[in-house]
Amino acid sequence: MSATVTPVKGGGASGAKNVFGVRSYLGKHQSLSILVIVCIIAILLPLLAVIPPFSGFGTQKDWVAGFAQAGVFVLLALGLNVVVGFAGLLDLGYAAFFAIGAYTMAYAASGFTGLDLPFWPLLLVGAIVAAVFGVLLGAPTLRLRGDYLAIVTLGFGEIVPVVFLNADKYTNGTNGITGISQPSFYGLFGINGFGFTNPWPYYLTILVLITIVVMLLYRLQDSRLGRAWVALREDELAAASMGINTVTTKLLAFAIGASTAGLAGVYYAAKLGSVTPDQFKFDVSFTALAMVVLGGMGNIWGVAAGALIIYELQSQGLKQLDAFIKALHLPAIGPIDINQINFLNFQYLLYGLALVLMMLLRPEGLFPSRRRKRELHEEPAVDELTSPDPTGERE
Amino acid sequence: MKYARVGAALAVFAVVASACGGSTATTAPSAAASTAASGAAAGPAMDIKVGIELPMTGGEAPNGVPTANGVALAIAQNPVPGFNITINQQDDAVNGKHNADQGAKNLTALANDTAVMFVVGPYNSSVAQAEIPVSNGAGLMQCSPANTAVTLTKGDAAVALRKTNPTKIAYVRVATTDDNQGAGTADIAYNVAKAKTAYVLDDTQTYGKGLADGFENAYKVFGGTELKRDGVPDSTTDFTSYVTTAKGLNPGIIMYGGVTTSGIGLFRKQMAQAGMANVPLVGGDGINDGSAATASSFLNIAGADGDAGTYSTVAAIHDIPNPEKFAADYKAKFNADPGAYSAPGYACTQIFLQALAAAGKGITDPAALREAVRAYVADATHTFDTVLGKVGFDANGDTTQHTISYYQFDATSKDWKFLSQRDFGANPVK
Amino acid sequence: MTTAVQGTPASRVGLDRRLVAPLVLIGALVVAYLLMVAGSCTTTGVGNCDKWAQGQDQFINALTIGGIYALIALGYTMVYGIIELINFAHGEVFMVGSFVAWFTLTTLGFSGPISGNLPLLVVVVAFTFIVSMAVMGVVGVIIERFAYRPLRNAPRLAPLITAIGVSFILQNLVFVIISNSIVTVPQVIPNPVLSIGPISIRAINLFVILLTLGLMVALHLFLGKTTLGRAMRSTAIDRDAAQIMGVNINSTIALTFFIGSALAGAAGVVQGLYFGVTVFNIGFQAGLKAFTAAVLGGIGNTTGAALGGFVIGFIEVLSSVYGVGRWAEAAVFGTLVLVLVFRPTGILGQQLADRA
Repeated sequence: MSATVTPVKGGGASGAKNVFGVRSYLGKHQSLSILVIVCIIAILLPLLAVIPPFSGFGTQKDWVAGFAQAGVFVLLALGLNVVVGFAGLLDLGYAAFFAIGAYTMAYAASGFTGLDLPFWPLLLVGAIVAAVFGVLLGAPTLRLRGDYLAIVTLGFGEIVPVVFLNADKYTNGTNGITGISQPSFYGLFGINGFGFTNPWPYYLTILVLITIVVMLLYRLQDSRLGRAWVALREDELAAASMGINTVTTKLLAFAIGASTAGLAGVYYAAKLGSVTPDQFKFDVSFTALAMVVLGGMGNIWGVAAGALIIYELQSQGLKQLDAFIKALHLPAIGPIDINQINFLNFQYLLYGLALVLMMLLRPEGLFPSRRRKRELHEEPAVDELTSPDPTGERE
Repeated sequence: MKYARVGAALAVFAVVASACGGSTATTAPSAAASTAASGAAAGPAMDIKVGIELPMTGGEAPNGVPTANGVALAIAQNPVPGFNITINQQDDAVNGKHNADQGAKNLTALANDTAVMFVVGPYNSSVAQAEIPVSNGAGLMQCSPANTAVTLTKGDAAVALRKTNPTKIAYVRVATTDDNQGAGTADIAYNVAKAKTAYVLDDTQTYGKGLADGFENAYKVFGGTELKRDGVPDSTTDFTSYVTTAKGLNPGIIMYGGVTTSGIGLFRKQMAQAGMANVPLVGGDGINDGSAATASSFLNIAGADGDAGTYSTVAAIHDIPNPEKFAADYKAKFNADPGAYSAPGYACTQIFLQALAAAGKGITDPAALREAVRAYVADATHTFDTVLGKVGFDANGDTTQHTISYYQFDATSKDWKFLSQRDFGANPVK
Repeated sequence: MTTAVQGTPASRVGLDRRLVAPLVLIGALVVAYLLMVAGSCTTTGVGNCDKWAQGQDQFINALTIGGIYALIALGYTMVYGIIELINFAHGEVFMVGSFVAWFTLTTLGFSGPISGNLPLLVVVVAFTFIVSMAVMGVVGVIIERFAYRPLRNAPRLAPLITAIGVSFILQNLVFVIISNSIVTVPQVIPNPVLSIGPISIRAINLFVILLTLGLMVALHLFLGKTTLGRAMRSTAIDRDAAQIMGVNINSTIALTFFIGSALAGAAGVVQGLYFGVTVFNIGFQAGLKAFTAAVLGGIGNTTGAALGGFVIGFIEVLSSVYGVGRWAEAAVFGTLVLVLVFRPTGILGQQLADRA
């Protein structure tokens, strides 16, 4: 058990040498550096879209629309990272909070209730509502260990869409709620309502949201709460013995993770214009989990990058791979005719394979956090054959 | 650059069509080529596209591919002078299942492609719900060959979908709505199967619930009694408790609102095994998905014992003028029999082509052309000569052809056999 | 795999405590039956509806579907008891088992019930079971060997995530190969209704119920009376002590997976024979419900798992009888949450929660 808590210097993600004092500079001016990084990414991504071969896959507008959608998953991954990556609580029902945020937006600005509240304050409202539910759904899990926690959260993740589906009077059931108002800039940049065809306002909005969330998460990671999460994750008993209130620590993890999902939900509902219960099933939770695991549990930028990469692979990668292979017109080998295979069907199969391989070979993910890497590759402290393990777990 | 992309899209479409529909792929690109050749009449021809937004892969391929083929056939057979028409093919199936998010994204991509003047699709009502705001906002006319949910065009929910441009209709459909289709099932139940009592089940999805609601309302008017109404979630595999309930109710007929993948085939099979095969069952076009030989169709799953005494409807006219010619042309081009929605797909395209010919002459600005097409199609005074007969659209975008066709299982051909049809516009339920 | 027994002084006058459990069980069954009878035939205006016959039919329905859940739950509970891992892939093992049954029966050339030839029927059914159970057992061992064993000492999160990954791999392998078609399995067991006294029950239902009970008893005997069973139980109680006593941990765990997966395979055959259809996505829900059953009964306790399976079956059928069938899923998962929050030991189980 790793008893040493390495002081985390500044906001660095993976370990890197302190080149020209950059790292300590970045650490001291964390929020500014986050802002700068996001701005750079914001400009680079649309530029990337006009470079071949990417330009062949779609127009720049299509790409930007894709990024605006990918941003939803980046937010989801960032939030789930708090629960799974920081606090070590495996939440398999994360889509429930996403749904709650989305329906909050739907209730607040659609024909179903007759209200038409503005989008921007609703972001905060949605986040708070989801956080409340995060506490409510997290409270029963406090006494439970990892596996049970996972199953209970999975159960909640199944119950919430069923409730939205069957409580017809309050949620309009399977038809869902339509006619949700879009966000509006009220004249800024010459744009009022966002509409459905112009992706740039959405792109800008989601970038702003991601920036704010990342800044907050870095602050949290370095705070007392962040260290409490680390302690909780490594050894709950020791953490409790050292005076950490495990109840509030866990509930805060759930709340903050849920609030991010709520934020994403509000944005998603406004962007799509309608919400239906079947948009929030287990595959959303699973995709978010895959992004967190593959991106690098506990590493904020890693998870964000992982989410973007996976989303783009999912929406473009397999499709282009399919088209590319079909265009080659390879001959059939025995009974296997590669032209008959549709690679789009392989999506979740590849996710599953990736998860298994990652856990076996590189559990810290593609962009690991230094601490996590050490935790996951640690040798057991004593020889497992000769010392019994009274608590029943080795972490 | 544009041709390369279109060519790639066509290649993908063609290969997918051949992989899933068992048709020869080579004819699709040649259709585009022949149109291009014949289109070069007087002056330089304008290059425009028809967008297709259908589920093309996985388990949904049998729904989308024949319909897309219908579109391609229409373009090949009906050239419009002055225009080169090609296809921008989109697929809204994710992991084999139609996906509303993907549909919205596809439609946005089509809207952003300035050469696209018209979209045929989508197939599923839940996808349409996500797409209508987009097409409405972009002013891009889309014609669905298969959507039947009432809430897409009528009622408060529909008005909310058109919020961006409330006066501009950008969504029409050639299939009539589920209140009519539901009434059709009620008609079958009360007047054909002569059942005075019914047990109604729905799969809690948009289409199924709407259809069952339509049945309920019409059946009451006919004079039948609904004994019980149950929602059976589409994930259910164990219908035995519902079969037992049905046994206790002893209804004259069982009505099912939903699609085959929600498990109705299994339910019917279990009914037969419980000794209730003599109780007829009626469903909508969700169960009219192929003969008993077609894998995964309702008739196939229900088994020989279950198939007897089943009825279904299709939200389209059966007595189309010249069905044999259409089937022959389709078979010649794609080497397969047309699907249930090939003709409606063809019809949607014909509507576009006629609107293009009537309103598009001389317009060179793509945006203006798009709007001209939209306005012409949406105009309730225009009627179109299509393979389905004369079609027009009302103020909501619904077709003026309110005909529902009735089918009954025929033991000799082991397939659905046409019984009759009823025009609920001319002959409503009173 | 033990039961926590509350001691009562031997001198106290009252019910012999060995009778308590069976009596409670019978009492619960009677209550369930009466509930079903009460809920049947509630629609007004319907003529001759026999409450008792309806109640009986629904009762049998519940026992049958409960049996399937019980078989799957047994596998869950065994694996959890021995390595404290929730094998998410277990539901998919069940699903693949049903496809194996489909493949076997269709390859053998059957397409309908085998009537009038009882020996052939017995041979075919037995063969299908053996094939499916053997294949799924081997699959289970392979999964354990390559996906779980390397992570036996890793932090708790890793094998859980791997298990989810494996479940997606299995499910989507079937999807890629078979697509989402609903596949028809030849229902070779014919359909006559048997009358045993006042009870009329279909042959297939009786078969499923007897099979489930039989396999449960066989497992119980195996665990209790054989050396291998003793090895499994001791590994579950204390792995290191068992190892010191000479138990080969790796092969014991492999055997556990083999048996658990074989039982899931058997459940898959039952699914095919009873329902006559299978499709690639039945594993997820069935697995979740079976896990609920295992938790309900007391994780690590095989009798409890079987009991839990039947309870879940009853919850589902009762929901349908009382007209709230669309809430059945929420009811089952709600039960899971409630049990884990208020009685994590389950009905019959041992103290397992909150060990940290």
